[in-house]
Amino acid sequence: MAVVEAPESPAAAERLDRLEQIWRSRPGLLGWLTTTDHKRVGLLYLWTTLAFFAAGGAESLLIRTQLAQPNSHVVSPSTFDELFSMHGITMIFFFIIPMTTGAFGNYLLPLMIGARDMAFPRMNALSYWIFLASGIFLYTSLGLGMAPNAGWFDYVPLASRAFDPGRNVDFYCLGIIFNSIASTLTAAQFIVTIFKSRAPGMSLNRLPLFCYAQLAAAFGLLFALPPLSADTIFLFLDRNVGTHFFDVALGGKSLLWQHLFWIFGHPEVYILIVPAFGIATSIIPAFTQRKLVAFPLVGIAELLVVFIGFGVWAHHMFATGLPTISLVFFAAATAMVVIPSTIQVFAWCMSFVTGTPQFKTPLLFIAGFIFMFVTGGLTGIMFMAIPFDQQVTDTYFVIAHFHYIIFGAAVFPIFGGLYYWFPKVTGKLYLERPGQLSFWIVFVGTNLLFFPMHIVGLLGMPRRQYTYPDGLGWTSYNLAETIGGFLTAAGILLLLGNLVYSYRKGADAGSDPWHGPTLEWATTSPPPEYNFPVVPKVTSAYANWDRDDREEDRRRLAEGLFVLEQGHEQVEVSAVDARLSDVVPMPHESPWPPLLAASLALVFSMLLLRKFGVAGVMAVLCVLTLVGWHSREPAEQ
Amino acid sequence: MSDHILAGRPAAGRPAAWWAMAMLIASEATLFGSFVGTYYYLRFTTRVWPPDGLPKPALAVPLVLVACLTATSVPMQLASRAARAGRLGATRLFLVVALFVQSGYFAFESNDFGEQIKHRFDITRNAYSSIYYVLLGADHAHVFVGLLFDLWLLWKLARGLTRYRVNAVQAIAWYWQAVIVLTLVVTGTLLSARA
Repeated sequence: MAVVEAPESPAAAERLDRLEQIWRSRPGLLGWLTTTDHKRVGLLYLWTTLAFFAAGGAESLLIRTQLAQPNSHVVSPSTFDELFSMHGITMIFFFIIPMTTGAFGNYLLPLMIGARDMAFPRMNALSYWIFLASGIFLYTSLGLGMAPNAGWFDYVPLASRAFDPGRNVDFYCLGIIFNSIASTLTAAQFIVTIFKSRAPGMSLNRLPLFCYAQLAAAFGLLFALPPLSADTIFLFLDRNVGTHFFDVALGGKSLLWQHLFWIFGHPEVYILIVPAFGIATSIIPAFTQRKLVAFPLVGIAELLVVFIGFGVWAHHMFATGLPTISLVFFAAATAMVVIPSTIQVFAWCMSFVTGTPQFKTPLLFIAGFIFMFVTGGLTGIMFMAIPFDQQVTDTYFVIAHFHYIIFGAAVFPIFGGLYYWFPKVTGKLYLERPGQLSFWIVFVGTNLLFFPMHIVGLLGMPRRQYTYPDGLGWTSYNLAETIGGFLTAAGILLLLGNLVYSYRKGADAGSDPWHGPTLEWATTSPPPEYNFPVVPKVTSAYANWDRDDREEDRRRLAEGLFVLEQGHEQVEVSAVDARLSDVVPMPHESPWPPLLAASLALVFSMLLLRKFGVAGVMAVLCVLTLVGWHSREPAEQ
Repeated sequence: MSDHILAGRPAAGRPAAWWAMAMLIASEATLFGSFVGTYYYLRFTTRVWPPDGLPKPALAVPLVLVACLTATSVPMQLASRAARAGRLGATRLFLVVALFVQSGYFAFESNDFGEQIKHRFDITRNAYSSIYYVLLGADHAHVFVGLLFDLWLLWKLARGLTRYRVNAVQAIAWYWQAVIVLTLVVTGTLLSARA
C-alpha cells in the first residue's frame, strides 16, 4: 500500500500538507511551459513523441500505398524520397529515442530510484524544449517542400551539394545536430541522476534493471552522438562553406561519412532497443510474480550490449570494398553481440517458465517482443556471413531485419509499457479485452507487414525503390505488406482508443494494481508532485516487495524522519554504494529552458539561411539567456 | 534546509555539478576524438601530407602558446581549492591570474587564425585545409567558452561565495583542465604533419 494514502497521525498529515505546499506546480498553461517536474516533462515528451509517431506512421502508410501495386504513381518520385527519409529520421530521432528515454525514462526513473526529481530539473525541461524545437524545425522542411531526401543515413556523394542542391540536406544536418543537443542533455541528466539521486541504500546492485537499461542507453547516447555531430558538421560545411571533407577530387573521402555515421549508427540500434529491454524487465517480474532470473547478468548484459555495439559499425559497410581483414574483424565483433543479447533472452524466457505468468496485455506485448527480437536477431546473425551480406545489402531483406528489431524489439515493449504504467500515470485501469485484441492485431499486422519483406528482398527488390514493374514475383508480397501496414495502424488506433477511453471512464486502479516490484508502485496513482512523502528505505532491487521497508517508510513519516519538509530539496548519495552524502536545494519552475530552446532555434534557422553573422548574434542571445538562467540560485528561490 | 539528517555522516562522493561537467567533458572529448580520427583517416589515405604543397605548420609559436595555456591549469586548480576552503579573495585572485593568461592566449590565437586563413591557405583549399581549420577553430571556440565561464564566475563571486558558486568554481576549473588537454591533443595532431 502506498505511504501517502491515509496518513495515520495528524503530524504525518501536516507534513504531507507542507510537502504539498513546497512542491506545488503553477496552474494552467504557464505551469506546463515553465515546469521542471520530471513527470510533467515525461508527459510532454509522451504527447510530442506520439504526434511524431503519427507523422512517421502516416509517412510509412503512404510509402506502403505507393508500393502496394506495380507501376503505381500515388506520390511523385521526389515526394517518395522525402517520405522514406522523413519516416526513418522521425521514427528514430523523434519517436523511439525520445519515447523510451524522454517519456518513459523521465517519468519513471526518479520514481524507481526513490527520488523527488531528476538531478538537474531545469536542464531536463531544456532537453524537452530543444527536442520540440528541433522537431518543429525539421518538419518545417516538409511544409516547405524541402524535406531531407537522401535517406535517413544520408550518404555522400548523393547528399553533397552537387547532387542535392536544395536546402533538403541542410535541414537534415542542422535538424540532427539540434536534436542531438536534446539527447545529449537527456543522457547526461540520466547518468548523473542514476549515480547521485538514488534513495540511500540503493547501491548499484540494487538498482532496478529498468534503470540499468536507461543507464546503458544514456552512455550510448553520450558517446555515439558526437561522431554523428562531427559528420553532419562536416557535411554542412562542405555544402555551405566550401570545405572538402567528402570531396574525393580534393583529398576528401566519401567513406569517411559512412564510418562516422555508423560509429553512431550501430550503437544507435542498441540505444533504441535497450531501454525497451528495461521495460520488459519491469513487466516480466510483475506478471510472473517472481524476481527476474539472473538479475546481475542481465544488468551487465544491458551495459555490455551497448559497449560492444561501439565496435561493430563496419558491418554496415561490407559492400563498400573495405579490406577483407577488416570485414572479418567486424563480422567476429558482430558475433560477440549475440552473447549479451542471448543472456537476456534466456533470462526473460526462464522467468516465464519458472514464474506464474499472467498473460495480461503488457505481458502479451513482451512475449510478442521476445518472438520478434529473436526472429530479427536470427536474420542479424545471417549478416555476419560476409558473402550473404553483400548479396542482400540494400534489399528489402535488410528492411525486414531491422524492422523486426526496431518495431518488434523497441516498439512492442513501448506499447506494453504504455499499458503497464497507464494505471500509475492516470490512476485508472485500461480495458483488458480490447487491450489483448489490440496486441493480436498489432502482432499479426506487423508480421504480415515485415515478414514478406524477407522474401522480396531475397527475390532482389532493392530498398528505396519508387515503383516496380509487374511480373517480377514481388506484387503479391508487396500487397500483403501494405495490408499488414494498415492492420498494424488499426491495432495501434485501438490501443490508443483504449487508453483515451479508459482515462475518461476507466475503473480506479489504486496505487498498485499489478503488485509491481519497484518503487513507483509504492506511491499513489498518479504520484504526488513530491513523489514520495519520505525518502524510501531500500534494501533490495525489488523494493516494493519488501514489506518491512515500506512499513519503515510509514514510521519515518509519522516520526518526521527523511521527510525533507523544510525546503524544495532532495538527497544526494555516493555513486556506488548510495551512502547519504548531502541534501541539496532543487530549482523551482523556470521560464529559461523554453526561452533558451527558442534562442537556439533562431541560431539554427539563421545557419540554414546561411546568415552566419546573424546566427552569431543569436548565439549571444543564448548566452544572455544562460546568464538569466543562473541569475537566481536554487537556494534563493 | 533539512540537512540535520546529515549529522554525524562523513562526506561521501562529489557534488552533482562535478558529475555534470564530467558528462560535458566526455561528450566534447568524443567530438574532438571524431575530429582527430578524421584527421588521421584523411592523412593515412593521402599519399603526401600536407597535400598540394601546402606549408607545414609552424612549430615554435604553437608550442610556446600551448605551454602558457597549460600553465593556467595551476591557478585554476588553486582557485578550486580556495573556493572549497571558503577563501573568497584567493579564489578571485587565482581566477583573475588565469583569466589574464587565457585571454592573452585567445587573443593571439584568434588573430593568428585569421592571419593564416588570409595569408597561408584558406579553408576551402582541400581536405587538409578543411580539417586543419575545423580542429583549430573548434579548439579556440572551447577556449572562448572558458573565458565566458571565467567572466561569469568573477561576476557571481563579486557577491560572495555560496555552495552553488563553490560547485561552479570546481566544475569550471575542471572544464579548463579538459580544454587544456584537448588543446594539447589538437596541437600535437596538427604538428604531426611535420613528421
